[in-house]
Amino acid sequence: MDFKSKDRKSIDFTFLILVIALLIYGLIMVFSASSASAHYYNGDAFFFIKKQGLFAILGLFGMWIMSVIDINLIKKFITPVLLVTLVLLILVLIPGVGMEINGARRWIGISSISFQPSELAKYVIILFVANSLSVRKEPLDSFLKDLMPYLMVIALFAGLVFLEDHLSGAIVIAFLGCLILYVAGAKNSHFVALGVAGVILIIFGIIFEPYRMARFTTFLDPFKDPLGSGFQIVQSFYAIGSGGFFGLGLGQSRQKYLYIPEPHNDFIFSIICEEHGFFGAVLLIILFALLIWRGIKIAMAAPDVFTSLTTTGIIGLVAFQTVVNIAVVTGSMPVTGMPLPFFSYGGSALAFLLTSMGFVLNVSRNLEKEEIKEIEE
Amino acid sequence: MAKFIPNSPKLNQKKRMFYALMAFSIIFAMLILRLMWVQFVDGGKYQQMAIEQQTKDSIITSKRGIIYDRNGKVLAQSASVDTVAITPREAMKEKNIDKVAQDLASILEMDKEEVLKKLTKTSSGYEILKRKIDSNQSKKIKELGYKGIYLIEDSKRYYPYGSLASHVIGFVGDDNQGLNGIEMIYDKYLKGVPGRVVTAKNALGTDMPYKYEKHINAQNGVNVVLTIDEVIQHFAEKYLKEAVEKYQVENGGACIIMNAKTGEILAMATYPDYDLNAPFTLTNPKHIEQLEGLEGEERSKKLYELRNLMWRNKAVVDTYEPGSTYKSFVAAMALEENVVDLDHPFDCPGYAVYNGVRIRCHKTTGHGSLTFKSGVENSCNPVFMAVGSLVGKSAFTRYHKLFGFTKPTGFDLPGEASGIFFSEDNFNELELATSSFGQGFNITPLQLVTALTAITNDGVMVKPRIVKELVDDNGVVVETFETEQIRQVISKDTAKTVREILEGVVTNGTSKNAYIKGYRVAGKTGTSEKQPRGNGKYVASFLGFAPADDPEIIGLVMLDEPGTHLYMGGQIAAPTFKNIFDDTLRYLGIEPKYTEEEMADKGQMVPKVEGMSVEDAKMQFGGLKLEYKIIGSGENVLEQNPKGGITVPSGSVVMLYTEESEVSEVVVPDVVGKTAVEANQILTNSRLNMKVGDSTSESGESYVASQSPAAGETVSTGTIVTVEILHKDVH
Repeated sequence: MDFKSKDRKSIDFTFLILVIALLIYGLIMVFSASSASAHYYNGDAFFFIKKQGLFAILGLFGMWIMSVIDINLIKKFITPVLLVTLVLLILVLIPGVGMEINGARRWIGISSISFQPSELAKYVIILFVANSLSVRKEPLDSFLKDLMPYLMVIALFAGLVFLEDHLSGAIVIAFLGCLILYVAGAKNSHFVALGVAGVILIIFGIIFEPYRMARFTTFLDPFKDPLGSGFQIVQSFYAIGSGGFFGLGLGQSRQKYLYIPEPHNDFIFSIICEEHGFFGAVLLIILFALLIWRGIKIAMAAPDVFTSLTTTGIIGLVAFQTVVNIAVVTGSMPVTGMPLPFFSYGGSALAFLLTSMGFVLNVSRNLEKEEIKEIEE
Repeated sequence: MAKFIPNSPKLNQKKRMFYALMAFSIIFAMLILRLMWVQFVDGGKYQQMAIEQQTKDSIITSKRGIIYDRNGKVLAQSASVDTVAITPREAMKEKNIDKVAQDLASILEMDKEEVLKKLTKTSSGYEILKRKIDSNQSKKIKELGYKGIYLIEDSKRYYPYGSLASHVIGFVGDDNQGLNGIEMIYDKYLKGVPGRVVTAKNALGTDMPYKYEKHINAQNGVNVVLTIDEVIQHFAEKYLKEAVEKYQVENGGACIIMNAKTGEILAMATYPDYDLNAPFTLTNPKHIEQLEGLEGEERSKKLYELRNLMWRNKAVVDTYEPGSTYKSFVAAMALEENVVDLDHPFDCPGYAVYNGVRIRCHKTTGHGSLTFKSGVENSCNPVFMAVGSLVGKSAFTRYHKLFGFTKPTGFDLPGEASGIFFSEDNFNELELATSSFGQGFNITPLQLVTALTAITNDGVMVKPRIVKELVDDNGVVVETFETEQIRQVISKDTAKTVREILEGVVTNGTSKNAYIKGYRVAGKTGTSEKQPRGNGKYVASFLGFAPADDPEIIGLVMLDEPGTHLYMGGQIAAPTFKNIFDDTLRYLGIEPKYTEEEMADKGQMVPKVEGMSVEDAKMQFGGLKLEYKIIGSGENVLEQNPKGGITVPSGSVVMLYTEESEVSEVVVPDVVGKTAVEANQILTNSRLNMKVGDSTSESGESYVASQSPAAGETVSTGTIVTVEILHKDVH
């Protein structure tokens, strides 16, 4: 490690500012959204924000470490971490080892100190695929010979996460793997085939799983059962609709008063819409869009394939989750349980996210300026 | 494809990153569009639904408006009272629930078992124990302070005049909703707009940590001012009740008094009536009798039926055959159509034949030859049948419609009937003949009175109305109802002629019993036989107005199935009408104008001669149309009967007693049923004086209907016996 190197170039401050802005806005909203249910159910309005704040500090520390670390050091840990993650993903499935919360066994740990291996798996898969592609000499021409091995590893991880009953996690892993493969140069035709296969898989997944089918029909008409299956989305509509253009004002949400279940979680965006209106929601989307634009710009100008693909993966993770989350909250797709990065409550996820942002900042130190120009022309 | 070189991202890779960026940007743009849709297009709807679930409403009750008579007398008013409610689960926390039940039962005058049953009904979250208790009871219950017993603010409707105008005013139900009459029709004005207290709540229904409260004040109900005059209503009800009871009228009676010029109803009565403060209690003893012995569903069904009968506003809801009262309109149409004039000659042989059916005149011997005018005065059926033929079917139907007999008048009380008449192709000669004297079709009393406005109002019919104005809480008039002209039915001249003819009916004809000394009364009697014919059931009625030259008020008295041998309109409805009109005209301050004849007949004032010498006393009688009789042989008049200062009919005898203990007593003889002349003779023979209870003209055949003091009473000689004279010729 070379912490004190004088010739270290400076990081992309624009990206850093966007990260900090999203983090602060996110923390404010976690507090605002969670205060009511924390007050009623936990007897302490600060219950959630305290925990989230703690993880944010932890995450910022991780971000700093990651932004100054020698990237080659990371590469050495990829394979061991991959294996550990694999073990953890299997362990979490074993009753007694994995902790069950709300009917899903996703957590490992003791009581409050717990984390989701699936959260780790998202980053591990990015690092693994990016790294393994970066050392490849041949192009990704053959589906079976070149693409299949990667797809199998991705499928293994996604499958294990899926077995935790964590569909959204599995989808994220599959998406990230494919995104990196695509950017790395896999054939368009292969992706078309993969896409078709994916759609068929999803359709079967919906048809043969009654609760997913129910979610799908609820998506089509949430007002059919507004107090049952449609409850979350209907309450989300109420919150969004109540917001108007400028919203009810910070902290003025009424829907957070136990109407929207866990308003600080997956549906936090609806509280943002209620409190800050269309204005706040668009501001948030713009912040995310800028972050993604800046992130992709860094990925494009990255000095090597590994950092480029990893950055793409990390930014893709943020972008994909954001898009799916907002689509769910606005009733544009069936409910999947996708968190909104920086905003949704979840300590380990936030810590991992900030750490990964540190990686992008690290990459931003060594950009090839000319390359950017070339693309911009 | 370019050769893949590790360690440095190639252009192709950068392109693909750019594509990914573009893809996400497009999706973001679509999501913003979607957000706009949810937030702005559907937003209002969602916001509304959100507010509904986020707030809870408590109702602030509004004060129900007052119903006034035209002079501001309160006819219906609401007052705050309490309703006792219980939450059984709370109440059951009391240790001695039996005592709770006992205490409540004794305060609320309820059955203890019934109270206990409600207290122990823990399956229910809320039970009403007793509604609208008085303030004394409220106080006692507050003092008890038992758990789970609550007093809820409620309001109770009070009707200061009890049964007065009960069919007009109507009443309210438990929730103060109007159930009948004005209370029902004007409910939306009277009830006001309840206010609300909106408080925010969370999904558990408990209050929010912050305070959010919005008050929307209750808007009190609008007060309704009726056109009814409490005093006139009282006159109408008093005499209607008297008539219904006296003539044992089976189906009750109705009376309408209306302002002839404006159509304002001054009084509208139906008897038997009911107590508005206890509207569900049957009042008719015959009805109560019918209920005896019935049980369960049969009883409640019967009770429902009888209550509806009791609440029935006969003046508006009932239809009946108007009989001869309708002749006023036939006369009007005949004159308007110019098919007759007043002197048009007719002949009455006592019957007429139409379509092979022989229809009798009420005077079976026949009226002989008469003019149109005398035909009306005598209410001669053959004359009217002939007049009907002259008018013709189509004109007859047209006028019948123009007078408004085929449609409801659009009156403000519930259940107004429309009347039944022959369809055009069904209207044959025979039906035209019977229709000409008011039989064979049905109308409502209100239609009849309304049609008469065309005659009293120079041909222009006005709409009847019962509400004068609406006044808000602060006394500001919200709405005033103006006179509404319906249409010109007949010409001004025709109307005037008909008025003159109808006045003649009272002065010379069959309606003499409606004559009021000092007033020019016009009108027409009616006696219609109820279907099926020949069952001896009649509707007796009188329709009239006064003063005849410049009508101020219109009136109708209708008696449905009188049970005495007196059943004809002229016998029973006309005197009732007369009594009501007499009081009403005087009350309205319409000055009586006595004719010379009437002035002459006003009687003589008895001079005060007590204490005078017999000679002086004799002198006092000089020039007076009075006779005197000296009893005893004293020198001075010690006592006289009638006393000085009393007005007695001309020709009366004044007894002058000249000795102590000379005052003789006589038993009053029975003169009821005698003619006036006979009665006078009999009474004079008994040394009594007869006085005709005011009014009624002298002409025509008449008889004594009643007398006071009654036959058999012992009185001193010279006492005035007041007799009621009725005219015989009264169809």
